Amino acid sequence: MPRVELLNVTNAPLTVQTYFAQGDPGPIVAALANVPELLGSTLGFVGVALGDGAASTRHKEFAILRTSVLQGCRYCIHAHSAVSLDVGLSVDEIRALRGEGPVESAFSDDAEQALIRWIDAMAGATGPVPDDVWTAARETWPDHVLVELSVTIGATMFLNRFATGFELPTSSDVIARLEAVGLT
Amino acid sequence: MSATIADAAPVAKAIAAGELPGRVWLYSNYHCNLSCSYCLTESSPRSERRQLTAETMLTVAREAAALGFTGVGVTGGEPMLLPWLPDTVAAIADHLPVVVLTNGTLFVGERIERARPLACEGVAVQVSLDSHLSDVNDMARGPDNFAKVVDAVPRLIALGVRVRIATTVAGPLDDPALDPLRELVASLGVEPDDHLVRPIVRRGRADERGLGVTARARDIPSELTITADGAFWGSFGPTVRAGRLDTDLLLTRTVLPLSIPAQALLSVIRGLPAGHDAKLGIR
Repeated sequence: MPRVELLNVTNAPLTVQTYFAQGDPGPIVAALANVPELLGSTLGFVGVALGDGAASTRHKEFAILRTSVLQGCRYCIHAHSAVSLDVGLSVDEIRALRGEGPVESAFSDDAEQALIRWIDAMAGATGPVPDDVWTAARETWPDHVLVELSVTIGATMFLNRFATGFELPTSSDVIARLEAVGLT
Repeated sequence: MSATIADAAPVAKAIAAGELPGRVWLYSNYHCNLSCSYCLTESSPRSERRQLTAETMLTVAREAAALGFTGVGVTGGEPMLLPWLPDTVAAIADHLPVVVLTNGTLFVGERIERARPLACEGVAVQVSLDSHLSDVNDMARGPDNFAKVVDAVPRLIALGVRVRIATTVAGPLDDPALDPLRELVASLGVEPDDHLVRPIVRRGRADERGLGVTARARDIPSELTITADGAFWGSFGPTVRAGRLDTDLLLTRTVLPLSIPAQALLSVIRGLPAGHDAKLGIR
């Protein structure tokens, strides 16, 4: 059971009714609607941070899924395992990002391995990122991509705590889809 | 942060253009010594208080005046359950004219003295009375309500308080059956223009009991309404049903600075077609 009331089309505040006009907007919107003045600006930030940008959608999903694993967010792991399938990651790659298999064997590209180590240092530790991790990441990834992915990681950490703290439910559709490929 | 001159322009212009009502409502509290059958907020002695502080109420009034609002209303619950309320209402009147709604049952005997701060310029006290027949009135509002109200009203007037009477009806607003009530109200010393007749709005307890007129957001006067739970569209917005606060007419959880909910209200008003509040007589 979620620890916050998930609003619906009948009790959503009139200032945010548009988010409910096309059906269930999902538990993050339904929870945020309890504070309607936060909804638009929060979704605006999250949309930019997690959406299309200079970094590819594949690498954005690296950041989102890996961060969610490091933060232990069941809701986001489920949701972004499904999104990762959508953007073309293989089941083995998703398993590796979820910590269920070795990264080195799932990702043969050195640049992607370096990026994952950098994401781990940004999202899964405190203190500065070690010099060797920065050096390896910078061999391929320009500053603006790393800046963008750092914002993606930060927005994901917010969503991780929001979804985990309020125990938001994963939709049955997502569960069914992940079960079909052995990823629950 | 308080209201600024820049914030004031949109509100004042909208009020001048007739787009926005001038009054800001304050729900001082939700608990009540009565449990009326049609209560929008399911108020009763057992209700959660959801109380505003005097400081918040005064800050809202001060910022409302700065933004260009033209009046304040105080409602509940029963505001007079709060010992400090009369002094706060008098202080609000230093900023804007104010009307405070009450069931009028807490002025019995010497307790009428509590109303003395309300005997000042810019304050009106609006007392509820639904029928000239005590049993009909008391069926909806509770035992002895009629007797306490008809006792209190002349004594409030004698104290120098401006008294209005609000009558909430299930039937037509122009029902000739209301004529004896109008005569009673006049006999109590209340001016005819200070007798308000309005329909039950089907929200809160009235909705559970199938009473009153159904109203959409656009049918409810869009008066900015401040509660301990946030800011709402209209004084009929922050209703309670089965113990839960209705959020469908919630504007913002932020209430101060008042410019934040005021801006949210203006943005909604400009996105909605005109409603039927005048036709339905909701006020």
